[in-house]
Amino acid sequence: MVANDLEKIDELIRAEEATLAQMQPASIAFAARARKALAGGVVCSWHATDPHTMYGATGSGARIRDLDGNELIDMHLGYGVMVAGHANAKVVEAVRRRVAEGTHFALSVQDAVAVAEHLAERFQVPLWRFTNSGTEATMDAVRIARAATGRDLVIRVEGCYHGSPDGLDFSSWPELAYAGPAERPVPVPHTAGIPRLYGEALRIVPFNDVEVLTRVFAEEGDRIAAMIMEPVAMNMGIVAPDDGYLAQIRELTRRHGVMLVFDEVKTGATIAYGGAIEWSGIVPDLICLAKAIGGGLPIGAVGGSEEAMGPVVSGTMEQEGTFNGNPLSMAAAKATLTEVLTKEVYAHLDELNGVLRAGFGDVKSRFGLPVTIQTLGARGGLQFADPAPRNFRERVAIDWRIVYLEHLVQLTGGVWIPNGDPWATSVAHTREDVARYVENLDRFASLLA
Amino acid sequence: MTAADAIQIDLGLVEELTKRETEALDRKHARSLSYREEARVHLPGGVSSSWQSWPPHPIYIDRGLGSKLWDIDGNEYVDYHNGYGVMVMGHAHPKIVEAVRKRVALGTHFAQPTEDALPVAENLAERTGLPFWRFGNSGTEATLDIVRIMRATTGRDLIVKIEGTYHGHHDSLMVSVFPPEAKAGPRDNPTSVPQTDGMIPGTTDWTVNVPFNDLEAAQKLFAERGDEIGGMIIVTNCGVVLPDEGYLDGLKETCHTHGAMFAFDEVKTGFTVAWGGAIEAFGVVPDLVAFAKALGAGLPCGAVGGTEDAMSRVIAGTLDQVGTFNGNPLTMAAAKVNLEEVLTKESYGRLDEINRILLRCEDVINRYHLPATMKTLGAKGSIEWSPTPIHEYRDLWAIDDRIPQLAWLWQLNRGVFKSPGSKWESWTTSIVMSDEDAQRYVDSFEEMAAAITR
Repeated sequence: MVANDLEKIDELIRAEEATLAQMQPASIAFAARARKALAGGVVCSWHATDPHTMYGATGSGARIRDLDGNELIDMHLGYGVMVAGHANAKVVEAVRRRVAEGTHFALSVQDAVAVAEHLAERFQVPLWRFTNSGTEATMDAVRIARAATGRDLVIRVEGCYHGSPDGLDFSSWPELAYAGPAERPVPVPHTAGIPRLYGEALRIVPFNDVEVLTRVFAEEGDRIAAMIMEPVAMNMGIVAPDDGYLAQIRELTRRHGVMLVFDEVKTGATIAYGGAIEWSGIVPDLICLAKAIGGGLPIGAVGGSEEAMGPVVSGTMEQEGTFNGNPLSMAAAKATLTEVLTKEVYAHLDELNGVLRAGFGDVKSRFGLPVTIQTLGARGGLQFADPAPRNFRERVAIDWRIVYLEHLVQLTGGVWIPNGDPWATSVAHTREDVARYVENLDRFASLLA
Repeated sequence: MTAADAIQIDLGLVEELTKRETEALDRKHARSLSYREEARVHLPGGVSSSWQSWPPHPIYIDRGLGSKLWDIDGNEYVDYHNGYGVMVMGHAHPKIVEAVRKRVALGTHFAQPTEDALPVAENLAERTGLPFWRFGNSGTEATLDIVRIMRATTGRDLIVKIEGTYHGHHDSLMVSVFPPEAKAGPRDNPTSVPQTDGMIPGTTDWTVNVPFNDLEAAQKLFAERGDEIGGMIIVTNCGVVLPDEGYLDGLKETCHTHGAMFAFDEVKTGFTVAWGGAIEAFGVVPDLVAFAKALGAGLPCGAVGGTEDAMSRVIAGTLDQVGTFNGNPLTMAAAKVNLEEVLTKESYGRLDEINRILLRCEDVINRYHLPATMKTLGAKGSIEWSPTPIHEYRDLWAIDDRIPQLAWLWQLNRGVFKSPGSKWESWTTSIVMSDEDAQRYVDSFEEMAAAITR
C-alpha cells in the first residue's frame, strides 16, 4: 500500500493525465479557442479544472458525452443537480410544452403555486419563495432571518459552502494559516473583493462541535439572528452530523431565539425524499433549496415557518428577482418533483448504494486502503481517511493528490465524478453503471498496491 | 406646448377615476382574485417575488405568445411589461422555442461548459467591444460579480452608485434604490438608505450615492474619497432618464483619474435601447458591464463582460467567479439563437417604427396640455407625469403617485399591460409588436387624457 508514498502518487497522476489528454484532444483544442472570449475559457471558475477543462456536449439518462465523443457514466451530475437523469422524458415534455406558451412574465403563474404546495408537503415548512440559484436562496434566507429577529450576527459552519453572497462567502475552504484556532475560527473571505466588514457579522464554528457552539451562544446569543449550515456537510466530501448534533443545535437555536437555516441546496430531494429534514427529523426555521429540484433548469427556493417568513409576507423584507418563479423553471420543477423524484425513487438509489458499498467493502478489504465510504440517497463519496473526518480541519488533513488520482482513474475509466466533491447518482443509473465505479476503484487500489 | 402651459391635474377626479378603474379591474379578475387566496397559503403575498404583486391585486398569467399575454381569467393584453423588459423578442418566439426544444432533449446541465457558450461570448464582445465574458443566472449575480471584481482589483471597498437606481438585490448595491424623501439626506451628499430590512450591518457605510447627471457631484466625491473608491456602477433606471452629453465620459475619466473602475449595469438597457445597448447608444465603453434580462430570451441568465485588464484576475483564476448553473447549456442555446438570429441589428428598426406610433402620445400631451413628458429609446419608453423631463431621481418626488397608478390601471383595463410602478418603470416594446399594438396604447392614453381633463 503506497497511500503515503506521494512521489509514487505524483507519478500515477502524471500517467493518468497523459491518458486523459489522449482521450480529450477536442476539449483541449476548444479551450484554446474559448480562452479568447470566455475568461479562462470557461463559464464558471470551477470548470477550469486540472489537467484541462472538459467541455460537455450532450447528456442522456446516466451518461454524458464530452466534446470528443467519449461516453461517460455521469456520477458528477452537474454538482448533484441531475438526479432526475439527463434529458428525463417527463422534464423534456414539461419544458417543450411550456416554452411554446411563454417562459417569462415577471408575474406569477399557477405552476409556482403548485411547486410551493409540493415543497411545503415535502420539506415540512409552509411558506415558499423562489430564486434562480442556491446563492440567491442563502442570501435571501439570511436576510429574512435578520429581518425577522432584528439581530445582526450569523453563525456559519467552517467548511460548509453557501454560494457566493458577500455576507456568506467566508470560510468555505479557508487556508488554515489564516483560519485561527480550531475552537475559535475566524472568518476567512473566499476571494479578494469581499469587504472585511461582512466577515465581522459572522461567527464561525466547527462542524460537529456542540461545545464551541454553546460557548458562542452563551457569549452573544442575544445578538445572533441565524445559524446557517448544511445539515449534512457536502463541501468536505460528505460529513454526516454526529448523532444528536442537529437536535442539540435545534434546541440551542430555539432557546436563544435564533433562526436555524438549513442549506439543503445539495441535500434537498437528494439524500432523501424530504432531504435532510426527513433524514434527521429536525425541522429548521428556514430552508434553502436549488440544484436538483429544477431537473436541470436554473432554480432556487427559500422556505420557512410562518414566523420566519413574516417579514416577506408583510413586505418589510423585499424578496425579489426578475426571473424568480419563472414559468419554465416552475414547469420543470413541478415535473421533476411530482413525477420523477417520487418517494419510490429513493429505494432505487438505496439499491445502487448497496452495489457501491459492497464493491467498496470488497476493494477495501483486499487492498487494506485507509478509506471510508458514505452514501445517502443520491449522494455519496469516499474519504481517504479511516476513521472518516468529522469536520473541515480533519478533512483538509487528507492529501488532495490521492483524491485527485481517484478522480482521474475514474475518468479515464469512463466514470465522471467531481474532484473531491461528493458524487451523485440518478433515477437513470443502473446497477451496472455504478459497478463501473467499483471496477475503477479496484484499478485505483491496485495502482496504489 | 411649454411646461408653463401645462394644466394642473384635478387629483380628486383622479381618485374618482381610479376607484372606477379599480372596480372595473376587479370585475375582470374574478379568477385572479380568488386564486390569490389559494396562492398565499404557500407563497407569501400569493406571488413568487415581491414585485409580482401590485395594487390592487396580483394578476396571474396563463400564457404568452408574440406581443400578447393572457391572464387566468382569459383577458388578453398587449404586453408592454414584457417581464420587466426581458421579452423584447416577444413571447414564445419560434426560433427560441425550437432552440429550447432541441437542447432540452440533449441535456440542459452539466456544470461543464458547452460549445454554445463561446459564440454567445463572441457575440457579446462584438456588440460591446469588451473582449472577456462570464455568465451567471440573474442580473443580481452579474452586478455582485462586478462589485467583487472592482473591489478585488483595486483593493478598495468603497463603491459609488447613483441615487435612485436598482442593481439587483445583493447587499452591496441594495442601497438608496428608492430612498424616501424623509430619509435621503441632502442632494449633494445623499444618505445611504437600506432598501429592505435584514441587510448586513454596516453595508451602507461602503456604498455611496451621487445624483444622476451631476458630474461635479461625482468629481467632488472622488476628490474627497478617491483613494477609498474601488469603482462606480451606473444605470439609468427611473423611467428613461437620459445621461447628459459628456456625463458618462466624464464619470469614466473621473474614475480612472482616481484609480477606480467604471461599470455599466446594462441589465435593463442591454439588447433593448440598441443592438449594442447603452454602450452603443451613448458611445462610452466601461471597464465592466453586466447583462441579464433580454440576453436569455426568457430563460434565467446573467453575464459579466470586461476589458482584459478588468477581467485579468478572473482569467488567471485568482478571483473565483462561480455558480452551479452559470452558462448552462439550455440558457446558452437560447441566448445564442436570440443574439445571432432574433435580436439582429435589423430587428431594431422595428422598435423605431413602433416608437413613431407611440410618439403620437406626445401630440396628446400637447393637445390636452398635460403636465407630462415622453421619452423613447429603442424598446424602452416612458411617460412621466412631470411637465419638465426627469433629470435625476429626486425629480420623481414631485410626481403624485396617484396619476401614474391611474395611468397603469387605465391601460390595463383596455388591454395594455405596462410595468407596474410606472413612476420609474414604464414600458418595454418588442420586435414582434404590430402597428395596432402600438396604436392601442396611444388610443387609451388619449381616452385617459380626455377623462382627466374633462
